[in-house]
Amino acid sequence: MIEPAIAPQPRLEWQLAEVRAIVVETPRVKSLLLQVPAWQGHLPGQHVDIRLTAEDGYQAQRSYSIASPPEDALLTLTVERLDNGEVSPYLVDDVRVGDQFELRGPIGGYFVWTVATRGPLCLIAGGSGIAPLAAMLRHRARRKVRAPTLLMYSSRSLEEVIYGEELDAMSRGDSDLRLVNTLTREQPEGWTGYRRRIDKAMLAEVGFPPEQHPKIFICGPTPLVEDASRFLVELGHPFPTIKTERFGPTGGLAS
Amino acid sequence: MAGSPISRGFRSRRQEQTPRNRVPPGQYVTTDFPVLSAGPTPQIKVEDWTLSLQLAGSLLGKWSWAEFEALPQTTIKTDIHCVTKWSKLDTTWRGVTFDDLLKGVGLAEPPTPYVMAHSDGGYTTNLPVADLINGRGMIVTRYEGLPIPPVHGGPARLFVPHLYFWKSAKWVRRLRFMEKDERGFWESLGYHNYGDPWKEQRYDGD
Amino acid sequence: MTENNSVLFLDGNAAASLLQEIFVPDISIAEIRCVACGFASSVGSLRLYAASMGAVLRCTHCDGILIRAVHTRHGRWLEMTGARHLRF
Repeated sequence: MIEPAIAPQPRLEWQLAEVRAIVVETPRVKSLLLQVPAWQGHLPGQHVDIRLTAEDGYQAQRSYSIASPPEDALLTLTVERLDNGEVSPYLVDDVRVGDQFELRGPIGGYFVWTVATRGPLCLIAGGSGIAPLAAMLRHRARRKVRAPTLLMYSSRSLEEVIYGEELDAMSRGDSDLRLVNTLTREQPEGWTGYRRRIDKAMLAEVGFPPEQHPKIFICGPTPLVEDASRFLVELGHPFPTIKTERFGPTGGLAS
Repeated sequence: MAGSPISRGFRSRRQEQTPRNRVPPGQYVTTDFPVLSAGPTPQIKVEDWTLSLQLAGSLLGKWSWAEFEALPQTTIKTDIHCVTKWSKLDTTWRGVTFDDLLKGVGLAEPPTPYVMAHSDGGYTTNLPVADLINGRGMIVTRYEGLPIPPVHGGPARLFVPHLYFWKSAKWVRRLRFMEKDERGFWESLGYHNYGDPWKEQRYDGD
Repeated sequence: MTENNSVLFLDGNAAASLLQEIFVPDISIAEIRCVACGFASSVGSLRLYAASMGAVLRCTHCDGILIRAVHTRHGRWLEMTGARHLRF
């Protein structure tokens, strides 16, 4: 596998990706595992553009974070079905193994973490915002690097926690990885974890203190990203150490 | 796009659900009201708000909020079309027609062929005056009977519904008459200079 | 309905594919300095407005426009008069 020692030069040419496998993650979320023949490698956190073309020539283009680490041969995109979406219902409901669509990337070296970066890693995710952070965690696990890491993950319910079992297994086997889930709408019997939206008190309780200079990545719906980054700044983390990726309604990533 | 492979089974659900006779080509109907801004929402207090008509550095007229509200008010119910492909049908707006603004400064007709609209926050858009007179253009302050929310252009926006909605400049403050056409914010960056949705004039070169 | 400004913009990183069609090195990690206020940041951290029409990238310090870009079927436009420099 290619060692991502330096950022691969972006090749922004459309390639044909083929769906090799589909994984049902939650009732509304599926992962598509893609074969991209001329793929040059990527860094954890980067995204791709995909382009769909209908028979009448109509095209729709969207961006999706790469959820797989660079160590994997296939590229994983994790898609949440948005009811009013134009593209996500197609990707979640209609796409079959063997289907092909256009893809280009990797894009965006800004929202990236690799094991070459020293220091604690603080990851904050809401819903399908877990995707680029999963790429970072999977990369970290594959490279067997024990950087102190926290994942704080907000979901509506236990059944909507994407990659739930995998993340649990990862943190059970690694004392340097702390996994903190918060379930904001519905909790199972006997749930002892957080039951509210991520707030300043929660971040103060479980987060790395500023003196430890964690690298912070926040990804998810805009309100969560806004709130979390504001709280972290109030808790003393310098603004440049916080990198954000908002999943907005204005046609940024995915709909 | 020549050469793009077809994605099996993909189709545009939004356009299929759209009544084609009422809606320009390439548009789909939405019942919500998407917000698109080129910058942060200005927070404008009506006590500080003024609207000016300007010609070559001199002021033809200026209204405070109270003065503007005292001008003849017109209500219109019509469809709006955004270049990003959504259309919204039967929207109701209230404000002052461009014709009444001209009358308000004692002009029987516009002094030049073109206008540049200037907004708080720096946004601009250009129009031929022919597309503003005879009721085609207004400065509106009410949407569906209520003051226009800041995020949709309140307290007042330009309203020219027969063109793509980027021409209906939010947070308008000044209409500058021009002898020669000049391109505004989007028109100077690849968007069509005129913007007729029925001819699908989205981009410069269409 | 919230009048929250924050739903109006995305992170500059979301403009990366639009801009990457024009630049060879990775634009999202390039440093950009604002002409209006002198503040320097990475392009990926800027505030991206009007993403559905193109890209209007604004300074996080003063909200001044640093980069405007549009890609249409007739070509690509890029305007950067608000940036003192880009550094790769």
